[in-house]
Amino acid sequence: MKSAFLFPGQGSQYEGMLNDLPDDPVVKNLLEESGELLHTPIESLHSKKALSTTKAVQQCLLIAAVSTYKVFEKNGLMPTYVAGHSVGAFGAATAAGVITFAEALRLVTLRGELMEKTCDEGYGMAVVLGLDEYRLSEIVNSLFDAEEPVYVSNRNAPTQITLSGSLRGLQKVIDYVTSHGATAARLLNVSTPSHSPLFNQVSEELFRELDKLELKRPKIPISSNITSRLLMQADTVKEDLAKSICYPVRWHDAANLLFESGTEIFIEMPPGDVLSKLAKQAFSEARTMSAAKNGLEDCLYVMSNS
Amino acid sequence: MVLKNVGEATKSWTTRVEAKKARIESVRGLVDGVAIPTDRIVEVLEKLIKTGDRVVLEGNNQKQASFLSQSLVQIDPKKVHDLHMIMSSISRPEHLDVFEYGIARKIDFSYAGPQSLRIAQMIEDGKIELGDLHTYIELYGRLFIDLIPNVALVAADKADANGNLYTGPNTEETPTLVEAAAFRDGIVIAQVNEIVDELPRVDIPSSWVDFIVVADKPYELEPLFTRDPRHITDIQILQAMMIIRGIYEKHGVKSLNHGIGFNTAAVELLLPTYAESLGLKGKICTNWVLNPHPTLIPAIESGWVESVYCFGGELGMEKYVEARRDIFFTGKDGSLRSNRTLAQLAGQYAVDLFIGSTLQMDGLGNSSTVTRGRVAGYGGAPNMGHNPGGRRHSTDAWFDLKTSDEPLARGKKLVVQVAETFQEANKPVFVESLDAISVKDQAKLAVAPVMIYGEDVTHIVTEEGIAYLYKSDSIAERREMIASIAGITPIGMEHNPKATERLREKGMIALPEDLGIRRSDAKRSLLAAKNIDELVQWSGGLYTPPAKFRSW
Repeated sequence: MKSAFLFPGQGSQYEGMLNDLPDDPVVKNLLEESGELLHTPIESLHSKKALSTTKAVQQCLLIAAVSTYKVFEKNGLMPTYVAGHSVGAFGAATAAGVITFAEALRLVTLRGELMEKTCDEGYGMAVVLGLDEYRLSEIVNSLFDAEEPVYVSNRNAPTQITLSGSLRGLQKVIDYVTSHGATAARLLNVSTPSHSPLFNQVSEELFRELDKLELKRPKIPISSNITSRLLMQADTVKEDLAKSICYPVRWHDAANLLFESGTEIFIEMPPGDVLSKLAKQAFSEARTMSAAKNGLEDCLYVMSNS
Repeated sequence: MVLKNVGEATKSWTTRVEAKKARIESVRGLVDGVAIPTDRIVEVLEKLIKTGDRVVLEGNNQKQASFLSQSLVQIDPKKVHDLHMIMSSISRPEHLDVFEYGIARKIDFSYAGPQSLRIAQMIEDGKIELGDLHTYIELYGRLFIDLIPNVALVAADKADANGNLYTGPNTEETPTLVEAAAFRDGIVIAQVNEIVDELPRVDIPSSWVDFIVVADKPYELEPLFTRDPRHITDIQILQAMMIIRGIYEKHGVKSLNHGIGFNTAAVELLLPTYAESLGLKGKICTNWVLNPHPTLIPAIESGWVESVYCFGGELGMEKYVEARRDIFFTGKDGSLRSNRTLAQLAGQYAVDLFIGSTLQMDGLGNSSTVTRGRVAGYGGAPNMGHNPGGRRHSTDAWFDLKTSDEPLARGKKLVVQVAETFQEANKPVFVESLDAISVKDQAKLAVAPVMIYGEDVTHIVTEEGIAYLYKSDSIAERREMIASIAGITPIGMEHNPKATERLREKGMIALPEDLGIRRSDAKRSLLAAKNIDELVQWSGGLYTPPAKFRSW
């Protein structure tokens, strides 16, 4: 039976999250390795204060997902496909063997730092429910103001879409869509306008960093953030990792492609269950689980019997 | 003087059959008579199929030759490549994997709903060469003209040692696909669930079949036509009441096809209750071309239905159908015989009415179910949803749609589109321009994938009312009629209350109250069965729903 492992992005983090990871020597080793690589005690990464920075959030998400993935790997339970949402794509690329964990940790650290540096206060993201991407794009384009730019960003579900840009511009769109068909629209607790052209420079710097590495060909096909195609070559993975920050994440299509390719089991890596919930909503015939909510044991059991 | 054709001595007129013999000869050492050993199927396919062949692979929206498709994808593309696949439905991952792996290059198909994102991407990326999109019967027709298959890969339930096939309730399109290959020296390979000594009946004789292979597991079958009455809403019930009064009763519709929407399932479940109370039994809905819909059980049990001819079977309905031989087409063995080609023909030429749901409609009544970024194709709706110009027989309902007294005036097939004015997520159904137009550009199609053209639609039903489009030839007037029942959608906002009044007076549109229907009466309590369990009870336990529909 075909399976896909999903690696979550920002929004799934919570205080103390690394304490909730599976009790397994593989996890313990990876946590230790992380502390050494970052020259920081692990406890300081997932404190409330630390998680107010993009950098720590991205580090924690990578550590949580990859360490759990390693337990599956140790048991010989490899998925047919992997996919990661936004920063989750670095975890997916690690699982697929394109980059090493140490490389991934360095890249997400840099990514987080660059994102924090790029925009001043006054930028962020919002989510709109109840409008499809075409209608929402029409509205956003018609209200566009170069002084207060807003872009349609992540397509998480057909009618769950994020916007990225200036807070004032976002508020203007929220006010408009609330009375024009959206069932809900609100600002997200995110201080960066991710997945928009405002991050073009971050993308260029990530490219330069990725160019220094020797990327391996993925041993597991990766569903792409930007194009929602299966990535089978190192070069296309590199492009996806570097560019994703300034392009919308086409998550719904990326997951849908895996479903149409025959995936019957979706398992989300810790720390959350956002992606497995989206999958459950979109593909009722597939089995969806999250290591965080269902527990690792159940996920291992399902994988070993698939 | 006798003219001699100089070429006569040298030209062979039997190249096709000789090529077929050579192919069959090439697998002699691998097969046992007509039987291909299950574990040698890939090897045999690599010899029987040649690069560039046209291969018809059975996969319709219900039955799938899943063992053969899974075997085809294992062929070595160095040995066999550039196949031209012909499939009525692209439903399984491996149907497109054969293109990813370079085994096949070109596709002609009807429906691709379950693979609609992937196929759209592959067309965009140039990984698949698109022949065309068809309705079922169009594609079947081309199998005998310009898409004649070299190889047919089909599925049957059982075979005997000679290669006679039993396809049973799910006969569907198998005989058509086999016929196109078998009688033009193509090779026919059937996967079967088992080989038995004696077949319940022969659906396809062995002389049409070259090889059989026992599949590793039974072919895949989808219960596509089962609608759980629990999900029927009050609005759908209101629509169903309007359909019964404002269309079926008004025109005396006796023979018909229903789509798979919940609103037409509601019509089926209102026949023994609401329609019965109107005294319509025997006057409407007597002869059907329809899959064995579980929601038709109460109407059958109440004596409403005289006959049902089926495109395919429906999981769980086998025993019920067998026990109701007077209603369904069955073999000597008692089990259902379906035939998609003939049912499509019947649905095109021989019924009074086709009714189906739509997701999007423009101001002229053109409708489409496509979503941007997806290529889903058609299925059978466009075929049944049009007025066939070749029809010459008259029925009461058909004749009732005659709008002039000219000496050559004729009637019309009733083509009804049902829609709620807004879909989920606040998406208006009535729009200025169809998404089909952007899909056409994105997928580089020759024509926009319109499901039913406005010129063919005779009636539109929304929760607001019915527009009797057939009553007008004027584009402006038709647009006005549509606007007046389009609610607060962009098209609906155009309507002018005065025009609506005028149209009501002229009988061009009807609101529920014009039909004697109180909106407050449209309640689920009118449904003859409110859930699957009640359908089972109506059937006397003969209907055995698949697990995913069981609620107890």
